[in-house]
Amino acid sequence: MPKLTIDDLEIEVPPGTKVIDAAEQLGIMIPRFCYLKELGPAGACRMCAVKFLQGPFKGVQMSCMVDAQDGMVVSTNDPEAVAFRKQVIEWLMLNHPHDCPVCDEGGQCLLQDETVSGGHGLRRYLGRKRTYRDQYLGPFIAHEMNRCIHCYRCSRFYQEYAGYRDLGPLQIADRVYFGRFKDGPLESPFSGNLVDICPTGVYTDKTARFRVRHWDLERAPSLCIHCSLGCHTVANARYREVVRIEGRSSGKVNAGFLCDRGRFGFGYAAHPERPRNAKIAAQNVPMSAAVREAGRRLLEIRESSGAEAIAVLGSGRSCLETLGMVQHLSRVGKWTAPDFFENPQMERKVKAIVSQLDARLAVSLRDVEKADCILAIGVDPVNEAPMLALAMRQAFRKDAKVVVVDPRPIFLPMRFEHLAVSSARIETLLQVLLQVLRQTDLAAPPAPLPQPIQLSEGLLSEVAFDSSVQAQFHALVETLVGSRNPVILCGSGVVGESVSSLAADCAEVLQNAKGKGGIFYVLPSANAFGAALLASSPEHSFLDTVEGIENGTIQALVVVESDPLRHFPDGPRLQAALTKLQFLLVLDYLPSETVRRADIFLPTCTLFEVGGSFINQQGRLQAAEKVHAVGTPIHQATDEAMRSARGEEGGGKHPPRMYDLGIPGGEPKAAWEVLDALMEALVPVAEGTWREDPWEVLKQEIPLLASWNGRGYPADGLHVVPEKRPGAAVALPLETEAHTSPSEASLQLLLVDWTFGTEELSQYAAVMRQVEGEPFLCMHPQDAERCGLAHGDALEVRLEEGSIRASLKVRENMACGVMVLPRHGRIQWQELRNLSGRVPFECIQKISTDTQVIEDLR
Amino acid sequence: MSRYPQVLFQNRKLKRINTLEEYCQSGGYQALADVLREYTPQGVCAAVQEAGLRGRGGAGFPAAKKWESVPADGAFPRFLVANSDEMEPGTFKDRVLIHAEPHTIIEGIAIAAYTIQASKAFIFVRPNYEGSAAILEREIKRAEEAGYLGRRILGSDFSLEIIVHLSGGRYICGEGTALLNALMGKRPNPIKPPPYPTVKGLWDRPTVVNNIETLANVPHIIRNGPDWFKGLSLVEKSPGTKLFCVSGKVKSPGCFELPMGTPLREIIEEHAGGLLEGSEFKACLPGGASTRFLIPEQLDVRMDFDSMGEIGHRMGTGAIIVFDQKTCLVGATLNLIQFFARESCGWCTPCREGLPYLRDLLWRIENGEGKEEYIPTIRSMCKDMWNSFCALAPGAASPVESLLTYFEDEVHEHIVQRKCPFQ
Amino acid sequence: MLPAEIKETLLQRIAHAIHPREQAIDVMTIMQSHYGYMSDEAMEEAGGLLDMTPLELEELATFYNFIYRRPVGRYVLHICDSTVCWMNGHESLLQHLCTLLQVEMGGTSPDGLFTLLPVCCLGYCDHSPAMIINQVIYGDLTREKIDSVIHKLREQAHAS
Ligand SMILES: Cc1cc2nc3c(=O)[nH]c(=O)nc-3n(C[C@H](O)[C@H](O)[C@H](O)COP(=O)(O)O)c2cc1C
Ligand code: SF4
Ligand code: FES
Repeated sequence: MPKLTIDDLEIEVPPGTKVIDAAEQLGIMIPRFCYLKELGPAGACRMCAVKFLQGPFKGVQMSCMVDAQDGMVVSTNDPEAVAFRKQVIEWLMLNHPHDCPVCDEGGQCLLQDETVSGGHGLRRYLGRKRTYRDQYLGPFIAHEMNRCIHCYRCSRFYQEYAGYRDLGPLQIADRVYFGRFKDGPLESPFSGNLVDICPTGVYTDKTARFRVRHWDLERAPSLCIHCSLGCHTVANARYREVVRIEGRSSGKVNAGFLCDRGRFGFGYAAHPERPRNAKIAAQNVPMSAAVREAGRRLLEIRESSGAEAIAVLGSGRSCLETLGMVQHLSRVGKWTAPDFFENPQMERKVKAIVSQLDARLAVSLRDVEKADCILAIGVDPVNEAPMLALAMRQAFRKDAKVVVVDPRPIFLPMRFEHLAVSSARIETLLQVLLQVLRQTDLAAPPAPLPQPIQLSEGLLSEVAFDSSVQAQFHALVETLVGSRNPVILCGSGVVGESVSSLAADCAEVLQNAKGKGGIFYVLPSANAFGAALLASSPEHSFLDTVEGIENGTIQALVVVESDPLRHFPDGPRLQAALTKLQFLLVLDYLPSETVRRADIFLPTCTLFEVGGSFINQQGRLQAAEKVHAVGTPIHQATDEAMRSARGEEGGGKHPPRMYDLGIPGGEPKAAWEVLDALMEALVPVAEGTWREDPWEVLKQEIPLLASWNGRGYPADGLHVVPEKRPGAAVALPLETEAHTSPSEASLQLLLVDWTFGTEELSQYAAVMRQVEGEPFLCMHPQDAERCGLAHGDALEVRLEEGSIRASLKVRENMACGVMVLPRHGRIQWQELRNLSGRVPFECIQKISTDTQVIEDLR
Repeated sequence: MSRYPQVLFQNRKLKRINTLEEYCQSGGYQALADVLREYTPQGVCAAVQEAGLRGRGGAGFPAAKKWESVPADGAFPRFLVANSDEMEPGTFKDRVLIHAEPHTIIEGIAIAAYTIQASKAFIFVRPNYEGSAAILEREIKRAEEAGYLGRRILGSDFSLEIIVHLSGGRYICGEGTALLNALMGKRPNPIKPPPYPTVKGLWDRPTVVNNIETLANVPHIIRNGPDWFKGLSLVEKSPGTKLFCVSGKVKSPGCFELPMGTPLREIIEEHAGGLLEGSEFKACLPGGASTRFLIPEQLDVRMDFDSMGEIGHRMGTGAIIVFDQKTCLVGATLNLIQFFARESCGWCTPCREGLPYLRDLLWRIENGEGKEEYIPTIRSMCKDMWNSFCALAPGAASPVESLLTYFEDEVHEHIVQRKCPFQ
Repeated sequence: MLPAEIKETLLQRIAHAIHPREQAIDVMTIMQSHYGYMSDEAMEEAGGLLDMTPLELEELATFYNFIYRRPVGRYVLHICDSTVCWMNGHESLLQHLCTLLQVEMGGTSPDGLFTLLPVCCLGYCDHSPAMIINQVIYGDLTREKIDSVIHKLREQAHAS
């Protein structure tokens, strides 16, 4: 390992470390603009100049371009280097508009900082400043090219790192311009990172524009809960309202970047209709009164019908503390075992994944970047867990092969091989794959690979795959056999229940042989892992609860931060069941349909107000800190107050003119605190088995956490998965008939996620309306033809008593025999009551051809 | 006719290019045949090494050394690129060479490609040399028909395709690494080695970039031997002849093939016919726009890489631009800086922002708005140009810096008189 | 839309290239000589042929000198403004041209025939001052020579 001296301090760094990073490890922050570790060196800005005194390089050099080498002596404050850096700053400021007072970057602007620290204060240049025309880049990003210092970070991130192709450098010389071919929304769902990486105010967060100054912000490390990856964020709040989310670098999850859903999807927290008051029969009441009344009603039901007549439903969007308290309350109260998944099929799959996940097999998001071969099974990264696509791309950039097995029309910002086969066939393929891998000497793979190919040929011919899929499969086998660090990604949405364990078995065989690689599952929600860990009974599901309500054994339902009316696949059935309930108690912070149906409603807090812990899909326990106080955002509160005082619309926002003892809208508490209070109302303190500290409860409820002190785990989170080898291989017989019936006049309905427009929380953010597009469904050309439909047709799908309308996208790159329908927030897909998962052809009707398909932004 | 032996121009004609047949009659393609029959790639390299051929594109890098740096186990296919971008003001030798003897270029490319085992070669031509590109394409086709290019050349195992690529037109495309980006259809920003193009160039394959004049010398070296080549030069360390372009205030501007080491005075006064009637030599840029102004006292310097280096100058491409006593050098420098500022690729700060800054200061001085304090600013900025990403900016600073070194009085005069004294 | 035979040539060139991008400049140059300049639509068409997004193509088109992204006249005059031509009277010749064609630098003459653009050193310093009009070089320029060239081009234009 090279050892070098920087400013008289010695340091030893791994080979390949740039001098600029070696210095940073010593706490010396060499000025920079173009360099970003994740993007690698560019050498464009020339700001990181230092002087090399001894070693293979001499004189002023860019510290971002030079690898640390043994014996180097470097000075960062040599007068020659300092003078040069000062000159660079002057150059960069020649054309800068000096509009800091109206620039959102002000206060967290690298250009400001380095202008000041570099000592450039007086303007000497008398020439005219260059001016640019800005572009419209969509609802997320504001563009102000005059502030540009041409560090090329944006285009390098956008094109090289993220793999999108609609933003880049144009023009030449001092006219270089970063933008699009024409005005229009950026196509990348990672565009928000431009805000973070731009060292000045060219790209700023449009949703937060002119709302805050950086120094006025309350900032805290937080987590993204818009999918199961659990990316690290910094939440920024002002006046009791989150205004902006930034990426935060974590060692094992995200490299400091975020997807746009995670960055711009926080609007639910300050939704204008967010219920902030406790309610009894839709009337506002004080929280304490509502809790008391709720306790009374539950006791009543216990008296009359027994404790099992009370059921609880939580969900994977709650923090672990809340889930633990739900579990605890239900156990202490001897209620029916709680459910944490609204969707019973999903519940089974997630429980299976979590119960069999082996710590030695589970790789992190950052590990995916290091894979040399990625096999993605039943997962649509861009739409289900966007940052996974970004991680895959980093592997791809280092020449990894990417193969996707999925029925959907998958798009990835990289080249990949797509085996578009139906969900059922995925299982068959995996079984074949597993057998082939088991029978091949993976540690010393045969060079031309005849055996594995022959083997798979034999197996595949039994199950009638068409030749192109076979060829792709052989290529996949070849790639896997030849790989050094293969990672298998496995989804939980469109795949059958045995897929997760088959995938784990493949990963295990590979890891045993190669000593590297592993498996990476994608789960349906931020805390699905925690929810599955807590779910006490593997058999019980919310479907049982619904049946219980229907047959009268369940009288009361406590819904904690969950919206079954949104997620339960049979909407009408649940609607009907709810009417039979005696008592519906709902705790939540979203203005959901379920909340509106509550007999008693208790408001809870978002993670921004109380923090919370979540376990991501890898089993990594991570915490979000509290960011701001609970309460109605000041501008909403003052608006309301002013309006009612003057009896008119409008009203000033600033300065706030509210004079009250309490914080308006400050009643909500963390859901676990509300549950705690409820418990108090239910269980006489003397009997008390409950504890105040949710972590004490959690330790009781989750054995894995028993020895854990509950606080202060490492920045990366704590990996809470036990080591256990996945269950014995599921040696199912190869299915041969069930799914080889193309003549069947129906399609398999796949309800899927889409980057924007289907995820629960971000749905409540107003800005998402502008990017989510119109509802659509996708079919293979063959299926479309058989139904007499064409791309762009407006369709109605009518099943039992429900129906939805959406336009048709005909896609070559998907499996035959399936219909892919994103759960768009504006269609009532629950109305389809689709538990069987099949849609007969005659239920698909064309209603007109003149609606235009809004193509997804690709 | 020149009193020196003509090698590249031995068949130069007034009105037309030398044909394939004429080239062959003068011994053309014999070297290629010999090489394919008798030489290993290492053998060619050794001969060229022995001859001491140095790059004619401006930097004078030994050609054989560059070829040798292609790793023996380097991937295939490999590429050779003949650089005829030639966008530097004052330079036009490549054009004259193409119009005089295209086949010596083609033969040179074939031999060099064989040496590095390249199967595809590109000739990168600036867009307004469309005519020259057409000539090359036509002659390449003829050479193919005659069996000197294409599959299994002259019955050997060696195959080569030559593609003429017309650039979109920018000075930076001549820079070796930017040129590779340009060829690949990317933005022509330079690339910082390592890895060197000879290891990872076009499409990540080993690639050698040479000036076409460099390559044109190769067949002659093979044909006549290294000693003959060394004997052509008047100096030891820069063998061979050189194509010198002379333009500006001389009686007969043009391109002349002269021995390396020919004194600058001789080139200007004898070969270019001396200065125009009524003109006196004031200064010249000896090697294209990116070299330093050279003054009358230095006229006796020999034009070769080392002799020029010894007096703190660069021979560059040997393109001599002559200025007379009636020409304002502040104006000339302003014009040069205008060129470089416009042609900067816009990648790095010193060049992208610094050159327009220099242009602004020079413009003020030239137009009577100059101040004394600009001079130290200009000086220090010129120095800082050396910390740019590629060699464009230091080249751009050369005339400016030398203006202040040799003609500071003229600059002061502009400032004091508050106008250009030449107007 | 491009005539079939041009499109065919382009597709052949692209097919022959190692990577389609390699042909980006050639495709734009050829299309430009057909269309006169590269309109937005032409850029998208070219992008389609090359498997490049319009933005990727624009990155190149706007970098280079000889790709026109706005309408130009039938004859595009690039007049060299680099050192040797400057020294040999480029400025007064430019003045002359502007008056003659009734244009400013960068403009197109009222009759739509001539567009005047600057260009850096054309590599004809031995015949300076020089200019290039639709790929034809005119060197050793004088006012008279310019007059006759323009006259000839005008006649040529009217004849066709
Ligand atoms: C800004 C710039 C422009 C250049 N232009 C040319 C050129 O037009 N032709 C050329 O042969 N070399 C040019 N070079 C030099 C090339 O980078 C490279 O050194 C040369 O082509 C190598 O060939 P040689 O070794 O045969 O000289 C240029 C260099 C720079 C920095
Ligand atoms: S010095 Fe910098 S900006 Fe100038 S041409 Fe080279 S890389 Fe481009
Ligand atoms: S950070 Fe090193 S050159 Fe920009």
